[in-house]
Amino acid sequence: MIKLNDISIRNKLILMQVFTSVVVFGIVFGVFIITDISSYKQRKADSMISLAQVIGTNSISSIQFQDPESATEILQELHTVAPEIIHAAITNDEGEIFANYSKSGLDSFKIPAYILRNRSSVFTEHQLFVANPIVSNNKVIGKVYLEVQLTELQQIKEYKYKIAIVLLLVALVFSFLIALLIQSYISKRLLKLVKTMKNVRKTGEFSKPVNDTGKDEIGTLTKAYNLLMEEIEESQRKKDEFIGIASHELKTPLTSIKGYVEMLNLMEDDPTKKQFVGKALGNINKLESLVKDLLDVSKIQSGQLQLNMNEFNMDELIDEAIAASQVNTGTHQIIREDHPGNEIIYGDKQRIEQVLLNLLSNAIKYSPGESKVIVDTKKNEKEFIIKIKDNGIGVPAEEQLEIFERFYRTKDISIHISGFGLGLYICRDIINRHYGRIWVESTGKGSIFYFTLPLKHTLSTQQTEV
Amino acid sequence: MNKILVVDDDLDILSLVELILKMNNFNVAAISRWEDIYNKMEEFKPDLVLLDVMLNGADGREICKNLHLDKETKNIPVVLFSANPEMGKFIKDCNAQDFVAKPFEMSSLLNTIKAHVN
Repeated sequence: MIKLNDISIRNKLILMQVFTSVVVFGIVFGVFIITDISSYKQRKADSMISLAQVIGTNSISSIQFQDPESATEILQELHTVAPEIIHAAITNDEGEIFANYSKSGLDSFKIPAYILRNRSSVFTEHQLFVANPIVSNNKVIGKVYLEVQLTELQQIKEYKYKIAIVLLLVALVFSFLIALLIQSYISKRLLKLVKTMKNVRKTGEFSKPVNDTGKDEIGTLTKAYNLLMEEIEESQRKKDEFIGIASHELKTPLTSIKGYVEMLNLMEDDPTKKQFVGKALGNINKLESLVKDLLDVSKIQSGQLQLNMNEFNMDELIDEAIAASQVNTGTHQIIREDHPGNEIIYGDKQRIEQVLLNLLSNAIKYSPGESKVIVDTKKNEKEFIIKIKDNGIGVPAEEQLEIFERFYRTKDISIHISGFGLGLYICRDIINRHYGRIWVESTGKGSIFYFTLPLKHTLSTQQTEV
Repeated sequence: MNKILVVDDDLDILSLVELILKMNNFNVAAISRWEDIYNKMEEFKPDLVLLDVMLNGADGREICKNLHLDKETKNIPVVLFSANPEMGKFIKDCNAQDFVAKPFEMSSLLNTIKAHVN
């Protein structure tokens, strides 16, 4: 069953208005029809009573002279005077039928005395019965009974019902149209608010207030929402500021530690000491990349990450990144499968290198016990496509979009991988800013990360489109 | 022997850089107070200046611009040095030759310096 809460406000408003107007119009039409019909009946009864009076007056002498034939003649005239009368009778003072009339083809009149005990007129479903006393010298000497077929009333009723139904339909259509116009005034504003909320959730841009000058409840809601967003933005700003300062303050001592340990590493000859220093250095590098990631994320969040765009040789950069990653791994071999050309790309060389290093280090990190990471490139008419393939733990289908989100860590708790879960988020942001795409393909074992960069000649048109 | 002037308000980093450069056969002068730069330039006549950007009380980019305005020091290359990698974008604005981000790899620091002294 559909719950009232599940119907959209838009439809609820329409439903409400249509329902109200149909009920109101229904009542109004009903009252009109009822009063109309009852006044018609009143008039009909009145005119039949006066007809009965005339018949009564005309038949006084017939009764007094005991002449039923002349009375019957009077009644026969009803055939032309009032064709809707199907039965008529005149009784004498003892209530016996004195003269009788039935429209041709009908049974003789049975006076429904029980209906007319004390009343001069009674309506049944299709007939009107009228009884009127015949008075002579202040004495009742008989009665005139009439039975009237109400065919006309039936027609009038039908006609009125038809008109009422047509008018109701028209009212329904009109109220629907009016409701449609009015609801848009209310629901449009609500939907605008909802749309902005969804957008904020998607883009993380809190700084866009919703414009609504209304002073009603929706206006209040919008104002409350805008205030809330201001507060969120302020706290975001403070958080970004903090991350920025913290990263900078972390980096300065890190520079000293790294430098001195590097020196120690150079000067040390004792193999055990050298091994220890090497371990320290490896961890310093990890710490350094974490701090860099934090700083990058705070920049992305505050919109301060800017690209330093230049032309550079992408194939060379890939080889450099492979060489640098190879130095840091003793377990894996990184193989480039294609034959490098000299593809010139327009972009931020350092940031693209960061993406490559990140994806390569992920490929190594997430394929323990394997030995090969394969790098391949392709090119179509629009894009340069870079492919990094490992034979590691893979990415489940339901996580393939989520892994590019901030602070996302794999749900597979059987492996422990260090890091904040910021690397792919940063990669996606960098690639998106280059008008490229980044995604992962994985079916159980191993994953293939792809990213694309627009070719130089397509870039000018793409940038104007964006 | 090429002469390098190193300016950094962090004394540990300052002596680290001094040590690295000396080990690699550079003649090094290291100062931590930015106010001493102009005197030191005259006295030491370096072949290259390695200049921290966020100095205590001064902006290395401004100092770099000033050095470029002086006839005497105009042609001495300056390499900016900062924990904020975004500073690398400003080297053209203040006529610096290059940029090294902190924390640095020893090899990349040396390569950058060597590239600008010969």
